[in-house]
Amino acid sequence: MAQTIAIPGQLLGPSSKYVAGPGTHIHEANLYSSVLGTVTIAQPEKKIAPGPAKRLTKIAGLPSSSAQLPTISVSLTGISEKREVLPEVGNVVLCRVTRIQPRQATVAILVVGDTVLEAEWQGVIRPPGRARHREGQGQDLRELPARRHRASAGGESNRFLSEPISLGDQASYYLATASNDLGVIMATSEAGNVMYPVSWKEYRDPETGLNENRKVAKPF
Amino acid sequence: MADRRRINGPVGATTPPIFDKPAGPAAAKTRDAIRKIFLKTGITPSASGSAYLELENPNPQRPGNTSLKLSCTVHGPRSLPRSAPFSPHIILTTHVKYAPFATRQRRGYLRDSSERDLGVHLETALRGAIIADRWPKSGVDIIVTVVEGDQDRDSPRAKKDDEGWDMMNVLSGCITVASAAIADAGIDCVDTVAGGVAALVCKDDKTAPTIVMDPVVAEHGSILAACCVAYLPTRDEITNMWFKGRLPGADMMVYDKLMEKSLVACRCANRVIVQELNETVKKGQGIS
Amino acid sequence: MSSTSQHLLLSPAELAYLHGSLSLITPGPIRPDGRSPTQFRPLTAETGILPGTNGSARICFADGTEAVVGVKAEVEKTPVPPYEFVASTEGRKDHSGTPKKSGRKSKKTATEDEISMDVDDEADEEAAGANEKVRGSPDWVELSVEIPGLRDDDSGTVFLTSMLTEALLADGEFVKKLWINRRFHWKLYLDIILISPPLSYPLPLLSLTTHLALLATRLPRLKSEADEDPMFDDDWAAATFLYPLQDTSSGKASNKSSKQSSAAAAAAPASRPPITLLVMAVGDNIIFDPSKEELAVADSAVAVSVAEGPSSEPEPESESIPATTTKRNLHLLSVRTIDPPSRLTPPGVPNSVNAAAWGTMTAATPTTTTAATAPSSDGGAAKHPDARVTETEDVVGVWKAPRGGAKFGMLGAMVAKVLREAASPRRFWMGLRVWI
Repeated sequence: MAQTIAIPGQLLGPSSKYVAGPGTHIHEANLYSSVLGTVTIAQPEKKIAPGPAKRLTKIAGLPSSSAQLPTISVSLTGISEKREVLPEVGNVVLCRVTRIQPRQATVAILVVGDTVLEAEWQGVIRPPGRARHREGQGQDLRELPARRHRASAGGESNRFLSEPISLGDQASYYLATASNDLGVIMATSEAGNVMYPVSWKEYRDPETGLNENRKVAKPF
Repeated sequence: MADRRRINGPVGATTPPIFDKPAGPAAAKTRDAIRKIFLKTGITPSASGSAYLELENPNPQRPGNTSLKLSCTVHGPRSLPRSAPFSPHIILTTHVKYAPFATRQRRGYLRDSSERDLGVHLETALRGAIIADRWPKSGVDIIVTVVEGDQDRDSPRAKKDDEGWDMMNVLSGCITVASAAIADAGIDCVDTVAGGVAALVCKDDKTAPTIVMDPVVAEHGSILAACCVAYLPTRDEITNMWFKGRLPGADMMVYDKLMEKSLVACRCANRVIVQELNETVKKGQGIS
Repeated sequence: MSSTSQHLLLSPAELAYLHGSLSLITPGPIRPDGRSPTQFRPLTAETGILPGTNGSARICFADGTEAVVGVKAEVEKTPVPPYEFVASTEGRKDHSGTPKKSGRKSKKTATEDEISMDVDDEADEEAAGANEKVRGSPDWVELSVEIPGLRDDDSGTVFLTSMLTEALLADGEFVKKLWINRRFHWKLYLDIILISPPLSYPLPLLSLTTHLALLATRLPRLKSEADEDPMFDDDWAAATFLYPLQDTSSGKASNKSSKQSSAAAAAAPASRPPITLLVMAVGDNIIFDPSKEELAVADSAVAVSVAEGPSSEPEPESESIPATTTKRNLHLLSVRTIDPPSRLTPPGVPNSVNAAAWGTMTAATPTTTTAATAPSSDGGAAKHPDARVTETEDVVGVWKAPRGGAKFGMLGAMVAKVLREAASPRRFWMGLRVWI
């Protein structure tokens, strides 16, 4: 399929016909490209039933008209791998633990979605004990991976799947693992061995046979 | 300020010995266009985005005649240092640095005030073009290296009173090359900003001054006023304007004409950017 | 980061309100401090406060910002450019006898092309010297700006310095005042110090203070003649103003008398030092001398430097282009756009998007099981259209940091308005004149 090339500032169409996707911007009721790349037009998905999601803070109904319009976006996907993205609320990110403190784990975000990041962004995961009872933040982390063996270096090589829940503060994104498919996917024991998961909350060291507590991800 | 950590070359302008009669100022071609621009993106693999710009040398036969050569690298968006406060926008940092050999007068390794000044102009020009709120909490460094600074080496006139008119040309080149490099880096922009210069020049005191685009300083007897503009063509907006000089009287007519001419120069430069960016995408499509 | 972008604690709602009131068209802009669009902030000023300088001034704005400028002059030898070295040394030998030189000068007819470096370039030099007798070089002025809390090489300070320097040097007229003879010139050091912390963008204050200091600057009277080593009159009372007063009788009077009486005499100088004004545009309104809060909602800001030249002396350049001779004979010296700090203000969130964002966020959580492997470019974006990039149309009352630049017409209108305002003497120059 021959894709249309867009350069920044190129007119894509009136904003009444499309919804602005990534890589576009609105100026005077028209949609313009804001990055270099190819134009993608995604037809709106059929509305999935909202399911059992709680909608506590719902104030007004979604403007249904805009939901029916196709989304137009511009991206360099498939053309250049050097596309930097920012972690966003709703993405799944892969992180590496860099520092464990009693109340939080500091992580480095390595992958956002399927994009490997060039720059290193910092994130923070907090355990539920310190929950601030704000939306989505209560269940940050069921079990902090290295709570009991903070001193060991083993905690630092844990790999996480998690989800940003907020843009965070000046230094870090706030992340959560509050979902079945999120959590530790690669763990190292106190002895320094790579462990395998045995339950939703435990990893086992194959050499020593000891179990260690982790919030285990179930990606499949 | 002397840089004591390095062994520096001779201070001051070096004048090559000329035994022949100098050719005199280059004949100012009556061209109603800017010099040809060579622009290429993606020249620095380690940077997020990069571009190289070179202006056509109008008189390649003349000894010591140079044109403008600029290289721009964009690093980022990347996370801000720990100490930086929270920012809902991308923090733009611009560095313009002359290579030590870029001009008649040797430049040190530390940025001097004119380089910093150019950096601020460039920042203003780019800040209007990028969509800063797309990249919260992040920073981007834009580094422009002036490899050749568009200073004619053997123009006696320019030596006598170096009024820094060539800085305008350098700035417009910096804007154009940085715009291409930012697009290459994938940072959101409202438009491809391009730089252009127009100047009010006169050959000598007898003739009437005329307005030219993209003035080659050595070609003209004297420059009365010049204007460098950063322009967004599709939005028809100006993000940076730098005018200096002396206009006869409080006449807005000349000023407006000068501005219009520099906008024409911007549009010309923008066409080069658009073409090069299209090619960048096509090349990427061919590979994948 | 430039010094325009200091953090200002205004919420998006406040910014939107301020922007709205400043962009009103029918009654004109309503400014927070009740000024008219072209009105300046009230100020107090005094000159001659530093006895060790050739000229000094202090200005205090009502918002508490205060600046001091000292002007010091030194006699300096004019360096000989390498190309003219041979010519000038020979010339200098000749000049030991002064009358001979003047005779030689008058003989030359000064029409040779100055650039041709030939056998007769000595003659050329002579001719050039006789023709444009007074020359100046940008090196003769050294201007330094100090702003508390900022480094000397901070880009904001450098930008201010170069802007103020540019205003002085743009037309090449100012440096000609520093010419003593062919071998010597005055070197002028302008030290501009902001005493208070930079509460607002200090450009107008610094420019005004510099303007006043230069008006008050006096140089010792030259006693020697022509190209001799310069000798000066020791009597400070006989020192001449750098910007001489127009009326010679009142000028003499003010030279002898004290400052108060000279203020009473109030003779207008024939020409004036350049002045740089800060103008900003909000909507279709043009606002002069914006305060910090106003600058935070500016769509664009421009610094315009103008100077008033002597109206009697027609410039050689101005003859060729038919210029409508205005009575004030104002020159536009330089224009620079200033990066308005409004581009760094936090945006507001429209209500509709706000509610929708909550909706998508809660709805999105269960669906991430599939999104984990979906490409983030289209699949993820389709699911979270409002996750971070809430790209919406402009909503009235919701602040959005301005994007893009200024229209061509608006920039032209701003410059034109500055020239028009500065040309009306009552408003503008009169207030400053009293302080000399």
